[in-house]
Amino acid sequence: MNGTLGNSGRERSAAAETDEQLMVEFSRGSADAFGELFLRYKQALFGFFRRRVADQAQAEELTQDTFFAIVRASSRYAPCALFRTYLYAIAFKILRAYRRKAALRATLFGTEAAPRQPAFETPSDAELSVRQAVAKLERLDREILLLREFERLSYAEIADLLRLPLNTVRSRLFRARMALRDLLVTPAPKSSPTKLAEREECV
Amino acid sequence: MNTVPHPVVPERIMAFLDGELPAAEARVVATHLDTCAECARLAERLRSTSQLLSAWRVPDVPAKVEQSVADLVDKTGSGLRTGRPTLPVRFSRWPWGRRAILWGGTMAALLVALALYLPRLRVSRHAEMFYTDGSLQSQVQGNGGSAGKLSPPVNGRALPESGRAITKLNELVTPTSPGAAPDSNGLYHGLGDHAEDSFSVNGQPLTDQQSKIFASAIPAPMIARTVSLLIVVKDFAASRSSLDAILARHHGYSAQLGVSTPENAPRSLQASLRVPAPELSSAVGDLKALGRVENESQAGEDVTRQHVDLAIRLKNARETEQRFRSILQQHTGNVVEVLQVEENIARVRGDIERMEAEQTTLEHCVDFASIDLQLMEEYKAQLNPPGASVSTRLHNAFVAGYQNAAETVLGIVLSLEEYGPSLLIWLLILALPAGLLARRYRTKVAAL
Repeated sequence: MNGTLGNSGRERSAAAETDEQLMVEFSRGSADAFGELFLRYKQALFGFFRRRVADQAQAEELTQDTFFAIVRASSRYAPCALFRTYLYAIAFKILRAYRRKAALRATLFGTEAAPRQPAFETPSDAELSVRQAVAKLERLDREILLLREFERLSYAEIADLLRLPLNTVRSRLFRARMALRDLLVTPAPKSSPTKLAEREECV
Repeated sequence: MNTVPHPVVPERIMAFLDGELPAAEARVVATHLDTCAECARLAERLRSTSQLLSAWRVPDVPAKVEQSVADLVDKTGSGLRTGRPTLPVRFSRWPWGRRAILWGGTMAALLVALALYLPRLRVSRHAEMFYTDGSLQSQVQGNGGSAGKLSPPVNGRALPESGRAITKLNELVTPTSPGAAPDSNGLYHGLGDHAEDSFSVNGQPLTDQQSKIFASAIPAPMIARTVSLLIVVKDFAASRSSLDAILARHHGYSAQLGVSTPENAPRSLQASLRVPAPELSSAVGDLKALGRVENESQAGEDVTRQHVDLAIRLKNARETEQRFRSILQQHTGNVVEVLQVEENIARVRGDIERMEAEQTTLEHCVDFASIDLQLMEEYKAQLNPPGASVSTRLHNAFVAGYQNAAETVLGIVLSLEEYGPSLLIWLLILALPAGLLARRYRTKVAAL
C-alpha cells in the first residue's frame, strides 16, 4: 500500500461491497479492502472524536488508535453485526479509556489536558450557537443526539452501543431534540471558542 | 383547546422522520401529518433542528493519520509485528497470552539464574571450610565415588621447642632449606616426610647417626583422625551384621550405637565407632561398601604439641614429686613441716594422675580413629490396608476441619485485635483525603 490507503481504496468500485464484506476481505489479507473502509469512515470517525474531545491532536490520536485496534483485531472479526456498530463500539471503548485517564490525571494532579491546537479555526456564529446548545444538554441525551445526528446510527444501533432499551433511546432523543430546539431559539450569550472547547470536553 | 388525543405520539413522528418506522406505520404517520397541522409543525421543528445541527462541522482528517494507519497496514501485510508506532502499548492492554509468556519467561529466567548461582555458593562455602585453624580438614560430599581421593591430613613435621634432646639438637642443627624457618613457637612446618634433609650440622649434611638422632628426637606427628559417613543401604539387617563383622575384622569397637525403627519410615542406625588408626582407611572402605555414600567428611587434628606439652609437664611433676619425697626422707623437722610436705606430695600426685589420664586419652584418640557412622535404610513404602474405617476417617476429618475453621476464626479475631486499632487510626487518617479524591474523580468522570 505504501501509505496510499485512500488512493488504493478509490480504485475499487466503492458501492460494490458492503462494509462487512470489506472487513472480511481485510481479515483475509486484503489491504485494499481496508483502504476502502478507511476511506468510508475516516472522516466520520474523526468527527466522532472531534465533537467529543476538545484537543484536536488528541482526537487525531484517538482516531488513529481506533483504526489500529481494527487492524489488530481483524483476524478475530466475525460479521455478526454491522461493521459500523463494531467500529463505533471500539471507538467508544477508546473514548471511555481516554476519559478515565483524563479524569484520574485531573484528580491526582489537578491538571486538565490543555488543547495543543486551537479547537476550531474560525467557527461561524451558527456553529458556535449549536455547540453551546449541545454542551448544555444532559450527558446521555447529548450522546444519543450526537450519535443520531452526526454518526447517523439507527435507534437500535444506539441502544446496542449504549446498552439502553430502545424506547429509552427514542424518548431521550426526542427530549434532546426538543431541548436543543428551545436552546437554539433562545440562544444564551455566546462563549469564546476556547471556553466552549473546554466545555465540549464534557461531551 | 383541542383535547382530542393524537393518533400518533410525537416520538413516532420523530421516528418517522428518522426513517425508523416500518412501512405500514410510516404510511399512517404520513397520512396523519397531511391532516394534522400541529403534528406537521412538530415535524418541521424537528427537521429544522437537524438542519441547524449540520452547521457544526469538523475539519478534514489530517494526512498524518492516514499515513500512520497505512504504515501499520503495510506492516501487517508484510508479516511484521503491528504495534503502535508513536506510543508503546501499555502492559495492562497486552493480551493475556502475551502477559503469560512474559511472566513465564521471567520466572524461567529466575529459576535458571538460581540454578546457576546456588551450586557456586555451595562450592565457595566448602572452599571456606576446607582449612581450619590447627588442622587440615578435607570434606567430600556426594555419592562417594571420589571420596577416597583426599589430601593427607598433615604434610609436615613439628619440632617441639622444649625437651633436652631437642634443645641439644637445636644447638647442633641449623636449617638449610629456605622454607625451613621456625615459627614464633620454634616449630618447623611444611618440611614433608624427609625433614632431616632440610637440616645440616656446621654446614655439612647429617650423617646416618645424626639422622637417627634427628629421627628419634623428632616425634612422629600425632593425628587424631575422625571420619563421618552417611550411607544409604538397601538391606538394613544385613548391613547391621556386616557392621559388626567389619568392627571385628579391624579390631575396632563401637563406643556408642543406636538404632531407630519407626513405623512406615526408613530405619536408621547411628554409631560412633573406634578403629585402630592404621586400620582406618581399610575400615572406611569396608563401610562404604555397605551401600551408597550420601555424605562423607574426614578431619585430622594434630595433637602433637598438646602431647609434648603434657609429657613435659608430667615429667616436671614427677621430678617435683621425687624432690618432695627426698626432702621427706632426708630432712627432719617438726610435724607441721612434715605434714606440709606430705600435702604437697599428695597434690602433685593428683596432678600427675590427672595428666596421665589426659595423656592416655590423647594417645587413645590418636591410636584409635573415630568414625561417626549413620546408616539409613532405602525405604520402600508399604501398601498397608487403611487403619481406620470410612466413618472414623470422616469423623476425624470433620473434627480436623472444625478445629482448622476455629483456628482460622480465632486467628482473624486475634489479628483484628492486634492490628485493628492501628488500622482504624490509619483509616481515619486516610478516609478524608481518599473520600475527597474519590469524589473529585467521580465528578471528573461525570464531567467527561
